[in-house]
Amino acid sequence: MAIPNQFRLVVVTPEKTLLDESVDSVQVPLYDGMAGIFPGRAPMVGRLGFGEMAVNAGGSKRVWFIDGGFVQVSGNVTSVLTNRAVLPEKLEPSVAEKKLAEANAIVPKNEAAFDAKEREQERNRRIISVARKSR
Amino acid sequence: MAKARAIVKRLKAIKNIRKITRTMELIATARFKKAMDRASQASAYTKKISEIVADIARTAGGDSDEMSHPLLRAPEATKNATLLVITSNRGLAGGYNGGILRGAIRRMKETREAGATLKLEVAGKRGISYMRFQAESAEKTYTNFDDRPGYDEVERIADRYIEEYISGRLDRLDVAYMKFVSASRQTPVVETLLPIGNLATDQAKPARGRVVDYELLPSAQEILKEIVPAAFKARLFKCFLDAAVSEQIARMVAMKGATENADEIIGNLSQKYNRARQSQITSELAEIIGGAAALE
Repeated sequence: MAIPNQFRLVVVTPEKTLLDESVDSVQVPLYDGMAGIFPGRAPMVGRLGFGEMAVNAGGSKRVWFIDGGFVQVSGNVTSVLTNRAVLPEKLEPSVAEKKLAEANAIVPKNEAAFDAKEREQERNRRIISVARKSR
Repeated sequence: MAKARAIVKRLKAIKNIRKITRTMELIATARFKKAMDRASQASAYTKKISEIVADIARTAGGDSDEMSHPLLRAPEATKNATLLVITSNRGLAGGYNGGILRGAIRRMKETREAGATLKLEVAGKRGISYMRFQAESAEKTYTNFDDRPGYDEVERIADRYIEEYISGRLDRLDVAYMKFVSASRQTPVVETLLPIGNLATDQAKPARGRVVDYELLPSAQEILKEIVPAAFKARLFKCFLDAAVSEQIARMVAMKGATENADEIIGNLSQKYNRARQSQITSELAEIIGGAAALE
């Protein structure tokens, strides 16, 4: 079976459909690291972490900051569902730094609080790093 | 003379009112289109979520252990219920708020009769003042939702509900709002959002014949842990979006009715005015002729 050299990428947030177009490849931040998706990838559903999503289409690369969510690869369609997709220029590293300091100061008393703390730290660290990269 | 003057005054007043209602109708129409666009864009997300949930359920083989989540578990007894009433901030929307509040009051009564403690939360100034009039104290009130409810704002509320539900302080969450069925039909409903009854109820379409064997990263359980709250948030957000769209439709219809009514009154009044003026002229003529006849 011939594999097409492009696939359809749909990026949706609860507020709107951000992207619906043919792309060459996309890189998404999975829960444990970056994952690249090329045409013809096996079906998958994955949990997303925080970080940058890079969309490659026609030689150009566009980047968004992704705030958790899911990715679904099914046939020739890849769907990215996320709470928030922000352009790196629009990120506010100063706010993230403040929130990171707040998260660092939390003393977790149980498992859930510990997870929440880790998530918040991870999220803000990612925001800072993506924002710094775009500068 | 006096009568004709009075009619002219009324006519002017009604023409002014007509201008206002007509403008409000146009504004509501424009806002409705925008709100409608937002709602249909958001439905893509909800649809995708249900699709993924259904797919995971199929891949996990309907294993009930794998498909469990604190938000899906119904508590044994409903002790603490919360009712969120979504109304509008502004009036002049016909029966929009009345319908929602009637449904809300009925649900409040039922819940109290069942012996549960009820916490009331109201969004929208109309609902807040109505509940104050009914001497019902609202736990929380929101006035920040207008015709463009933001996901961030809704998410904050949803997070609180999830936290309360999981910790056991909340057993049931009802939302009273105007459900958008179609552009010509909206019905006031009270929906139970928590516990989430069946995740895949409003899924867009069943399997298209062949089952796709997904690779699940990290595992069905882990994905479910994330996707169930996301589905709940999307549903709550949809309630707010539906409410925003329905409000604009209700206002549009109400203002259209008001404009038509004003047109009718203007027609009647101008007829009355013409008659009054004519009879005034006739009587003046009669007086002149009478006066001239007396001089001869």
